[in-house]
Amino acid sequence: MAVAPPVAVQSPRQASSKPAQPESRGKRSGRRRPSLVGWAFIAPFAVVFAVFLVAPLAYAFYLSLFSKGLATGTTFTGWDNYIRAFTDDSFVNGVWFVIRFAIVLIPVQMAVSLGVALVLDAITTRFARAARLIIFLPYAIPAVIGALMWGFLYSPTFGPLDQLFGLFGVDAPFLLGPDTVFGGLMNVVTWQWAGYYMIIIYAALQGIDPALYEAAKIDGANAWQVAFRIKVPLVSSALVLILVFALIGTLQFFTEPQILRLASNGTITPDFTPNIYAYNQAFAYANFNYASAISFALGVVVFIAVYVFLFFTRKRGSDFS
Amino acid sequence: MTTARLSGQTGQFGAPHSRAKRTNRHVAAYLFLGALIFYFLIPIWWLIVASTKDVGGLFSGTAGALWFDETFAFGANLASLFTYNDGIYLQWLGNSLFYAISGGAGATILAVLAGYGFAKFRFAGRRFFFSILLGSVMVPLTALVIPTFILLSQVGLTDTIWAVILPSLLNPFGVYLMLVYATDAVPDELLDAARVDGAGEFRTFVQVAFPLLRPAFVTVLLLSIVGSWNNYFLPLAMLSNTRLFPITVGLGLWQGQASANNSGGESLWGLIIIGSLVSVIPLVIAFLSLQKYWQGGLSLGSLK
Amino acid sequence: MHLGAGPKGFTVKKNLLVATASAVTLMAALSGCAGGSTGTSSSASDCTNKIVNTDAPVVTMWAWYPNMPAVIDNFNNAHDDVQVCWNNVGQGGAQYDKVQTAISAGKGLPDVVMLEADHLAGYAIQGALVDIAEYGANDVKGNFSEGAWKDVSLGDAVYAAPVDGGPMAMIYRTDVFEQYGIDSPPTTWDEYRAAAEKVKAAGGPLFGDLGSNVPAVMMALQIQKGADPFAYDLTTPEDIRITLDDPDSQEVLDYWAGLVEDGLVGTVDQFTTDYISGVVSGEYATYISAAWAPGYLSGAGVGVGESEGVWAVAPLPQWDTAKPVSVNWGGSAFAVTSQAKDPALAAKVALGVYADPASLEDGWKNQIIFPLNQDVLTSDEFVNNESAFFSGQTANKDVYVPAENAYKGFVYPPIIVYYYAQLQAQLAKINAGEIGGAEAATELQQIMVEYAEGEGFSVSE
Repeated sequence: MAVAPPVAVQSPRQASSKPAQPESRGKRSGRRRPSLVGWAFIAPFAVVFAVFLVAPLAYAFYLSLFSKGLATGTTFTGWDNYIRAFTDDSFVNGVWFVIRFAIVLIPVQMAVSLGVALVLDAITTRFARAARLIIFLPYAIPAVIGALMWGFLYSPTFGPLDQLFGLFGVDAPFLLGPDTVFGGLMNVVTWQWAGYYMIIIYAALQGIDPALYEAAKIDGANAWQVAFRIKVPLVSSALVLILVFALIGTLQFFTEPQILRLASNGTITPDFTPNIYAYNQAFAYANFNYASAISFALGVVVFIAVYVFLFFTRKRGSDFS
Repeated sequence: MTTARLSGQTGQFGAPHSRAKRTNRHVAAYLFLGALIFYFLIPIWWLIVASTKDVGGLFSGTAGALWFDETFAFGANLASLFTYNDGIYLQWLGNSLFYAISGGAGATILAVLAGYGFAKFRFAGRRFFFSILLGSVMVPLTALVIPTFILLSQVGLTDTIWAVILPSLLNPFGVYLMLVYATDAVPDELLDAARVDGAGEFRTFVQVAFPLLRPAFVTVLLLSIVGSWNNYFLPLAMLSNTRLFPITVGLGLWQGQASANNSGGESLWGLIIIGSLVSVIPLVIAFLSLQKYWQGGLSLGSLK
Repeated sequence: MHLGAGPKGFTVKKNLLVATASAVTLMAALSGCAGGSTGTSSSASDCTNKIVNTDAPVVTMWAWYPNMPAVIDNFNNAHDDVQVCWNNVGQGGAQYDKVQTAISAGKGLPDVVMLEADHLAGYAIQGALVDIAEYGANDVKGNFSEGAWKDVSLGDAVYAAPVDGGPMAMIYRTDVFEQYGIDSPPTTWDEYRAAAEKVKAAGGPLFGDLGSNVPAVMMALQIQKGADPFAYDLTTPEDIRITLDDPDSQEVLDYWAGLVEDGLVGTVDQFTTDYISGVVSGEYATYISAAWAPGYLSGAGVGVGESEGVWAVAPLPQWDTAKPVSVNWGGSAFAVTSQAKDPALAAKVALGVYADPASLEDGWKNQIIFPLNQDVLTSDEFVNNESAFFSGQTANKDVYVPAENAYKGFVYPPIIVYYYAQLQAQLAKINAGEIGGAEAATELQQIMVEYAEGEGFSVSE
């Protein structure tokens, strides 16, 4: 789950304004300014972008078109590595796992964070403020440390689950076992990120003009109706944005399973997710050419998934750019 | 004029039809929140409890994972944390702070400039660059590590602080946020007026536009700092000198040592646990004390 | 900090705006600006240790043992002509990832690197290691047992200087053995199983653990039975023999799969906190392990408190007591990398560091290493040392030194990392009850042959 943090800020009272395309504003006066000035403002970022994203990416792509065996030299093989990736059980099963994971995880995570945000938006007591902070807190904890803590908590011999189940005289389930690892990882990720998503939705809710609620109240709407007929639709584009980022992050799932691998008794394999597989191909098996191809193939999968997702949400009236 | 302001509404809506009904609904809401607080606090509570235990208490304590053991070793653990390996832990903590603040600030400055440039200027290649920018968040990080490593080693920058700071200047999403914000928060008329007064483009930016962008600047800054602070993969690949490690990689080093077969008569698990706790404290304090900015920055308005 | 908002920060940025969009310029500008104002910029030559003789040329090194600071100081104090600049970049796997990155990048390796013997072939085939036979390695050959030397050699080439090893043995709990009437430690694997059944029938603890994350142990136990999984020699680098489904390999996997099936051994990964906690709380009556295990266990908090004074060690059970076979797990060696500027000087360090009496003594007395140097192995103090962990048992004399002397060495293939990963996956399946031992062996053979062919090897089976 290593992805740029999704938060959108925008000036107030623009809950239903136009999409945030750069084309949307500033056309009138823009033409008069020389285009060099615009570039000058963007240049520092463009340089960093070119050096630390475009250049490494181009280089990695170049490498993915070659193959090198341990016992052979490097040869140009074109698309062979990609063909190999999509017929490689390790890669295909890993992709299948992260897709299933995303399909189950994201709705749960969204339901939790949307639910909390709506409750917190409705209650403004000190308790609610404290709850907001505490639920947000895991975001301040590095994923490495979060995963480490849950690894301890999952321990069947000295974790709290052991004691809890011990009360009923049964053995605690091992949450990183072959049948439970799905849920075990889902819990870690939800714990780590739900509070963050909650804050974003909460911020969006706070930006809605209260006059809308007044109007609804006059029409006789109750709190549930206000929540689901007014609030949720008004923050729906925020939800779509968060979903896209959650989707990208989940498909690139890496840190949590990588850390918990050490405590999983072999359940989390070196090809558990595509990103972990790419990492091991590059660093453990010395096959950087194939690892680059896997990374690119994963990028393609992510791109298709996001495109499909946006296609369906767009149909339902979202204006996410 | 659309200036940013903190959300000031009191959240009064859905006034109660009856007092009893309202109380009921609130009880349910409070129970819901209470359960969530419990869930989100459990690991942190465990961390606090575990950091007071010695090795024996950790693995075979009688009080259980979620309560204190008879031996209260918090002080001893803390002392060994700060003295182990000549106090390398403090160095790691300092490095993390330095990387987070310098990388975060740098990334934010680049994002403000670029976001403003995208929002307020037309120029050749603008749309093209913008769509590449949006697409770039889909790139898997693993694909970038070795090429970046090779690139930086060509100019002799691997295993230096620059290998961590420079790549973390890249924050495409920060640019996107600034663009969205600047589009509405900085009126073109204001810029035109400044230019009429004879101000140069850069002065116009610093004196007119930047003050209007400040709330979003703070938010992006906080996000970038947290991002750099939590970074693990990049410094792991770039750094060999343990004295340059940030705290995440340092704790990872200890974890590797503790879970491998040779720890030389010393248990590192206790250090890892109390080290995790101490490393979490700075950001938690920052979160609590900067609460106003978080809320301010995030509740500037709604989302697209 | 200084890059924060403010006129100064923006001046820097303004200069950059004008600057050409070249990467090098940006880096130079930023490093120039911040390096001057913070004073924390550092060069690649930073060491974790002190350089004593500043005039001498410096050799860089990665190593992870906890007493390395003392070891490096010993070396640097004793040498005017060369100094070591040491860093610990991680234990085992973490360091190997870094080594592989640096090999792929063609830059970034230190001159000397600590490695386990099983990784040598994999790096040597990539041309990353220097054959130190050319630099006097064979002069110290006599300091080591035949097996120890074979582990660091590929044919006539020598790719590392051995430091420590892990002759295998069986650690057991005397209190459990007493309680359940096991009068003497099992000497054969049949007796081992019988004892395990007896203890289990009486409601006692598990008899060892088949952790999937220690595939090297399974490989060693298979070799003990007579398996010869790989043949490889760098003089014909494209030829490899892979034999993983022979009767001996299958039988050992079946034996352990049977123990798992009958619930006689644990299935938890080793070195995890979960495993330690099980060892401390008496869930395991035995631990099939190596000579460094007492150090690991006492470091993890075993042997203090309630589990104090209950441990003893016996030789590894055998398949055939008439023909006992000694095997090894772990240990380390110092290799010279091909990125070293001065390979001769680096070889001098690789052969000399952790080889002086003071360092070796510090290592074994603090239970960090089981040294391979014969001077130590034959010294009266070492042989007759009464181990505190084993309640005064002369473990070296009784068990570990004889085991080391009888060790004949293994042949490791250049594809060992992939093999370990595959063996680990099969062990996890065995532990989950999904697959039998023989079946796992057949599957391994097929996977490994396919992989080796994909890497361009010509494979014989």
